[in-house]
Amino acid sequence: MTLSAALLIVAQIAAVSTPPTGDTIQVPQMRSQPVVTATTKRSPVAFDADRFDSLTANALRGLFDDAVELGLPVRPLVNRALEGAARRVPSERIVRVVREHAAALHHAKRALGDLSREDELEAAAIALRAGLDERAVQAMRTSRGRESVVVPLVVLTDLVRRGVPMANAQEAVARLARAPRSDDILLGLQATVAKNAQRGPGMALDALNRYVQATGVPPAVAAPISPDRKPVRPPEP
Amino acid sequence: MTLRRRTARALRRRSLRSSGWVLPCALPCALAVFEAAPLSALHAQVRGDAPMAPAASIGPVTDAPTFSVLGVASLPDGSGNALAQRNDVWLGATQSMGRIGRVSVAALASGNLRLEDGMTGGAQSQGLLTLRARTRVGENRIWSAVSYGRSAVNGTPASGVYGEKALMSGMGSTPVLASPSPVDTTVTRRVDAGQLARAEAGLVTTYAGIEFAVGMSYERATRVTRQTMSVDVPRVSVSVPSNAGQVTSSSLRTVQRRDLATGIASVGFNTGQTQWLVSVTAPVASWLRSDALAPLPQAVPTVASLAVVQPVTGWLSLVGAAASNAATMQGAMLRDELRPRSTANFSPVVALGVRLSRLPWRDGDGTPTGILAFETRTLGTVDSLSVEHAQAEAPESDESGQSLVRDTLRVVLLVDAPRAESVELMGDATQWSITRMRRLTSGRWRAELKLPPGAHRLAVRADGGQWIAPPGLPIGNDEFGSAVGVLVVRR
Repeated sequence: MTLSAALLIVAQIAAVSTPPTGDTIQVPQMRSQPVVTATTKRSPVAFDADRFDSLTANALRGLFDDAVELGLPVRPLVNRALEGAARRVPSERIVRVVREHAAALHHAKRALGDLSREDELEAAAIALRAGLDERAVQAMRTSRGRESVVVPLVVLTDLVRRGVPMANAQEAVARLARAPRSDDILLGLQATVAKNAQRGPGMALDALNRYVQATGVPPAVAAPISPDRKPVRPPEP
Repeated sequence: MTLRRRTARALRRRSLRSSGWVLPCALPCALAVFEAAPLSALHAQVRGDAPMAPAASIGPVTDAPTFSVLGVASLPDGSGNALAQRNDVWLGATQSMGRIGRVSVAALASGNLRLEDGMTGGAQSQGLLTLRARTRVGENRIWSAVSYGRSAVNGTPASGVYGEKALMSGMGSTPVLASPSPVDTTVTRRVDAGQLARAEAGLVTTYAGIEFAVGMSYERATRVTRQTMSVDVPRVSVSVPSNAGQVTSSSLRTVQRRDLATGIASVGFNTGQTQWLVSVTAPVASWLRSDALAPLPQAVPTVASLAVVQPVTGWLSLVGAAASNAATMQGAMLRDELRPRSTANFSPVVALGVRLSRLPWRDGDGTPTGILAFETRTLGTVDSLSVEHAQAEAPESDESGQSLVRDTLRVVLLVDAPRAESVELMGDATQWSITRMRRLTSGRWRAELKLPPGAHRLAVRADGGQWIAPPGLPIGNDEFGSAVGVLVVRR
């Protein structure tokens, strides 16, 4: 084999295996033009089963079908599975994460309502898995009305992950979410907190409070004035 | 005049000095072949070449601190000579020295160690220090390096090493041996001390995900050899009286100098996490100047080699390498020191070892400790990311006129990572396929995405490091060990 032939073979191998380089990356429109190697029985979302071993692929298909039966979006689950494959984590972990995310989507749908959009459910599921509870998610829906809750939930999740206490983060986001052009304000809050969180959780909380005050958005409801009384001790049986 | 002195003088008389051009393919080259035809991966470190795979292979390309240990074994070369099979330990380390303007500087050190073996008593040690500079010119990278090294070999070669054939060659065309059959000279002890200085430069470019590197090096190696010889019944009728009797020992000192120009070309690529490097090195020209009695140099071969690196953890990789010729893999500077000339053109060598480097591969690997505590540079550093939204595009429609997709927006991601050699992204937008970003002249990295409104998860990495959430983006999930960023696309 000549040297040039050997190099050509190497180049061909690498061309197959190396990541593509491109300027424009378009999200595959799976609903219309599925680039499918395998589909689930009921889900219209493409699922590239070639990235998994057959057992894992079958287990995932089952999860996707269950999600369809429950009326949950499948694409977030497929993306979780693909993410796991891309990160080369064990198959068991991929299946477990997909199952947990499906449960989170179910809770998110229960919290946000049946008419919620897919990206809202996804954002809510991420928030729930970050430690927020369903009431916090419901509060976002309440504060936003019919508008999308994606940005509030994404910002809320980010704040919690950066160490802001959950109650403070929830109160701040719910307060700002009612303001006009609240998405921009919320994203500004996220950027401010993220910048200050590098110096510690205390600085993040301080930045959050200063930012919220600077916006001038009043609290939604006045905090109940607590009667400065000692708690009543229940009578002993 | 004693017999011993007479013999020594006779030997010196044969020591006609030689010098001149030597073509590598036709005539034997000089003694040392340290970098003459380096096994690419092993010597990628000292060469300072920058291909992607070699970077991480054994020598670092990204200037990341690394420490490598390899065991090197020669396979039988067909000569039947047991001396040709030797096992070495190769060590290599590198450390970034910072930047001067746009030029990044790194220090590299490598060593080769062979313990004294029972058969020949030969032991060898060798060390090389390199200062390497790299910079980027447009889409290409250039590198240059200067090196200095020393080597010492101490051993007792077999008696045939300097037998009649060697002496005849040393005398040029003048036959001095009456009979070629019996061995009349025995080298009982030999010590080689060598020095090497080298300058090199090269160019690396990337095409279709493959890194191509070409380079040239020029080096000068000098060697001083001291050997103790025993001469039995000299039958050299010309110079030595027939009644000379037996000479017990004689000490000789020879000096050699070799200048060598070498070319190298390599191809590096990745298959998943596995890194590959295929390279070819070939001598271009060499100049010799040596005593006639100096050990015969070996021809510098053209060497093809393959190196593979498989990450095991974030800081540990398995390294395998193979070369088509043993000459370049072992202690290199005094390559022809203690063994007879090998006429085999193919004497394969294999190496297996480990590399310790802070190249986070597994998610959540964290900061290494212990032996790697000295490492300070964090790979995968992405300084900042900015997102530019462009105008919405018209919805696509199918033949029936139905809208197929929601509005898509052109979103331009700009990652500020001027020190990175490569930046990649993956996420929902790429169906979690790794996609390279394009480097701009400003040092930023660009990717353009067409995304529908909504939240899209995204992760980036630099230099093959750990996947991270792009700085500046909200943090999303981290079920798989490291968080992803959430890119919110709004209408």
